[in-house]
Amino acid sequence: MARAVIRLGGLRGRLLVAFVLVAVPPLVVLAVAASALVRRTSEAAARQRLEAALGAARAEVGRRQAEARDKVQRIVDQDLPELAAGPEEDDRGIAENLADRRDLDALEILDGQGRVVSSRHWPAGFALPDRDETFPGADDMRLEKVAEGYGASTRLTITASQAAQWRGAPVTVRGGTFVDGEFLARLGELAGVEIALRDEIRGQWIAPLGSAVGDWREPAFGRATAYETALAPAAGPSGEVSLRGAGYRWSASALRPSLALVVAVPTTSFESLTARVRHLGLALSLAVLVLALAAALVLSSRIARPVARLANGARRVAAGDLATEVLVPNHDEIGDLAQAFGAMTTELRTSRERLLQAERVAAWREMARRLAHELKNPIFPIQLSIETLRRVCDQEEDGTLPGNDGRFRSLFLESSETILAELHSLRKIIDEFSQFARMPQPHVGPTDVNAVVERTLDLYRARAERIVLEVHLAPGMTPIAADGDLLGRALGNLVGNALDAMPEGGTLRIRTAAAGGSVTIDVEDTGPGLSEEQKTRLFTPYYTTKRGGTGLGLAIVQGIVSDHGGRVEVRSEPGVGTVFTLVLPANLPLSGSAAD
Amino acid sequence: MAWSALGPGYGGELVVGLSELPASLEPGVPGGLGDALVAGLVHETLLDTGPDGVPAPRLARSFSSGASGREWTLRLAEGTTFHDGKALTAADVVRSVRRFLRSPSPAAQRLAETLEGATAFRSRTSDECPGLIAAGQDRVTLRLAGAVPLPLAPLAAPAAAITSAAGAGAGPFVPTSVLPGKSRGLVAFTGHVEGRPYLDVIRLIHVSDGSLDAALRAGRVGLVPKAGKGVQGGVLAGTLLLVLDPMVPPFDRAESRSAVAAAIDGADLVRHLMPGADPAPSLVSPLLLPPLGLAIPSPRARLRGTARLAVSRDVPPIVSQRIVAYLIECGLEVRVEAVAPDAARQAGPALRLLLVAPEVAEPGLALREVSTLAAPVAGAQEPLRAVEAELGLDRRRAHLHRAEAALRSSHTLIPIATLPISWQSRPGLHGVSVTACGRVVLENAWLEP
Repeated sequence: MARAVIRLGGLRGRLLVAFVLVAVPPLVVLAVAASALVRRTSEAAARQRLEAALGAARAEVGRRQAEARDKVQRIVDQDLPELAAGPEEDDRGIAENLADRRDLDALEILDGQGRVVSSRHWPAGFALPDRDETFPGADDMRLEKVAEGYGASTRLTITASQAAQWRGAPVTVRGGTFVDGEFLARLGELAGVEIALRDEIRGQWIAPLGSAVGDWREPAFGRATAYETALAPAAGPSGEVSLRGAGYRWSASALRPSLALVVAVPTTSFESLTARVRHLGLALSLAVLVLALAAALVLSSRIARPVARLANGARRVAAGDLATEVLVPNHDEIGDLAQAFGAMTTELRTSRERLLQAERVAAWREMARRLAHELKNPIFPIQLSIETLRRVCDQEEDGTLPGNDGRFRSLFLESSETILAELHSLRKIIDEFSQFARMPQPHVGPTDVNAVVERTLDLYRARAERIVLEVHLAPGMTPIAADGDLLGRALGNLVGNALDAMPEGGTLRIRTAAAGGSVTIDVEDTGPGLSEEQKTRLFTPYYTTKRGGTGLGLAIVQGIVSDHGGRVEVRSEPGVGTVFTLVLPANLPLSGSAAD
Repeated sequence: MAWSALGPGYGGELVVGLSELPASLEPGVPGGLGDALVAGLVHETLLDTGPDGVPAPRLARSFSSGASGREWTLRLAEGTTFHDGKALTAADVVRSVRRFLRSPSPAAQRLAETLEGATAFRSRTSDECPGLIAAGQDRVTLRLAGAVPLPLAPLAAPAAAITSAAGAGAGPFVPTSVLPGKSRGLVAFTGHVEGRPYLDVIRLIHVSDGSLDAALRAGRVGLVPKAGKGVQGGVLAGTLLLVLDPMVPPFDRAESRSAVAAAIDGADLVRHLMPGADPAPSLVSPLLLPPLGLAIPSPRARLRGTARLAVSRDVPPIVSQRIVAYLIECGLEVRVEAVAPDAARQAGPALRLLLVAPEVAEPGLALREVSTLAAPVAGAQEPLRAVEAELGLDRRRAHLHRAEAALRSSHTLIPIATLPISWQSRPGLHGVSVTACGRVVLENAWLEP
């Protein structure tokens, strides 16, 4: 699992990032550019569509106007003369018949006083004056009352009027087409847009049924704009507006003063196109990104894997495994590096074996030298004592022993005592060597360090009569995983050394502390201190500054502490004193041995 | 032609087209033609009235008075049952008349004013109605506070229909099925007091405004209401009224109301758009109260403002449009709203245009009913009260004319025309009649096979 993790800071991670950085920006730029291009293109198309719709609507209104004029003229010229005089009730239906024949939405015949003789769109208005008005500023458009349900509605109508003589009396024939929602819906369907009219005088919309534009509460173009655009209709205002929660692109133009023609298309069509392009670009980018990542993984793996093998091999060599072999099949620089690495480890392995052999020889020599030195010292008095006894014994046999009055006995006792003392020294030396050689493995268990300190000090209190003992034990220390006996022996060695360093008295300070995952035991004396040279050789086996010392005490201390995963620190100042600090890990596992 | 010569025959289904289907079958004041039709099909009253207001027997086969006209006894038809099979008893009559007395019907108001102790009962200050007595199983006695003319006429009102304890009616047809707003089915009731009707089934279906004639021509329906002169029926039962609310400007001024009255040319309207109607300016049908032809002065004036006009859907649209044209000519801007006939009777809009057919064909009750449509008119109250108490026919009619003139002169009620309420039927349908109240009667209708 650990192998699957790719560290960004690693060679493989950096290679991957480099691949992605190289692949992604062009894709992003391409996607953004394509999206912008599509948007611009669709917006331009929408503008053209709106302008075309405006033009078509204006043209259609003009066509309807011309058509109305033509139809009314035909009614006056052809239809009216054919109509014979009849009862008034029959006259009321004339407008309807004529309008049906000429396909007109609105038709009315007014008498000379302006009273309705017959009306198709407002039949209820017969015999009453026509009160309908022209749309302000537009002589060809009128607001006509139209029968609707139980009452009337007002509809904008493109009209044409024609004076005529009918039945010997002057009449006016007025006919036209409604510019209503139905008309605008038909126009809009043809142009593929929504078309509406804004009556700026009454602040009302004329729009197809259900048209969203009819819901536009505050149009962005006002009456002034409409008047201005009347002078230059092609340059009408345009923009975007949100209606019923959907976006619309609109364009307006003044059909007549105070009557704005507005066309609109939902932006959803080109928004969806842009979105589709964006999504396609995103999908393409993702696909390319995945491909780039896959390629990067393969390539980086080919580059980084031999390097990682070399690194692992180096780590194993550093850990002492000189038998490590790194197999890199590459026939490139990395392959050369691997071969050089292999040659280096082989050379290192050979050198270490030679060094170990030399060290073993040196150690044996040192051991022999020390053993010879240590054994030579007691052997010499033993030899002298035995030679003295032989000489006295010979003199006694020769009778040359002066004053044979028990002197032999006295000499014998003295010599044998000397021999026994030296033999005792020899045994002690042999015991220490034996102890050093047979240092046991620690048996780890929960160990209260403060208790170990107290037990050890109890053993040395008798020797510390002239010593001021200061003990500072940290309260509430958590037991650590350690071998209490070995730890006590190491501590005892340090305490013994400290007492030996203060034969004339002094202060011995013992401190325990727990901090940063470690437990420390300080053993401080106020002895003469150590020189720099002494400090550097302090833990060398058989090095001692004491008379009669074997030089193995501190080596034993270091061995015990090392077996517990700790270390020994020493601070010393000549003339002031020395502090030995045992630093032990506080979180060592409780089971097994520290050496494990 | 040959079949009709053979006379009526049983059987057949008649489909009636209505623009407003009644939502309820409960007895009440009919709001429009559909309500009146269904009321007459499903329910039965104790009495009916002729054009002169004289009672005619229905569930009550006879009636007699005593104590100088202060006590009236009605004897019920023997063997009459309701649609639920229960026999008609005097207790059913008492319960139904008590319900009627507490209804909003103007006729109920009139009966309550004449019946002993009924005013307190109507106003719910008392639960006792001592003037209404079940005198045995088949006789009911009405005790009046004093002698009044035509005291039994209110019992002919549709709201006074007699129902069983479970609410079943006793009319000639039994309601069977209903699709709310779409159709209602009724079948012949064999136990009807007048005998089984000829038709087996009547089905009422909803037909939108303006499509009634087309539906009849297409044969989808066999009978539709028709404004103006129709083939069937056609008595001058309805009055086209424009009701003005004197609390709403500009009609809070008498001059404005007068100007509206002057602008509406009833004669012109009738001549052009309502063939068979009568432009006589009277608030009630001339069948009930012959008009005196008194002209109410209405000076013309130009008005300004906007007014809301509620039009009852049983008014022909072209007539409504012509009224709108008059109002526009008068200077008003009008916003029109079509409403159900019963909604048009409720106050609210500044203007209401409705077709009123009297609940009971009795001139006093009819005028009272019309007067309730508008705000009370001070000068009309005294003659209306006098009408209730006057026994002399001529003097009573004089009081009626005084009240009618007072109501008209306020211009809160502008009578436009009296028009026949008639129905148009498909060929082969016979025996359809319309009462003076405008109710179409189908119990004698029959179809050629």
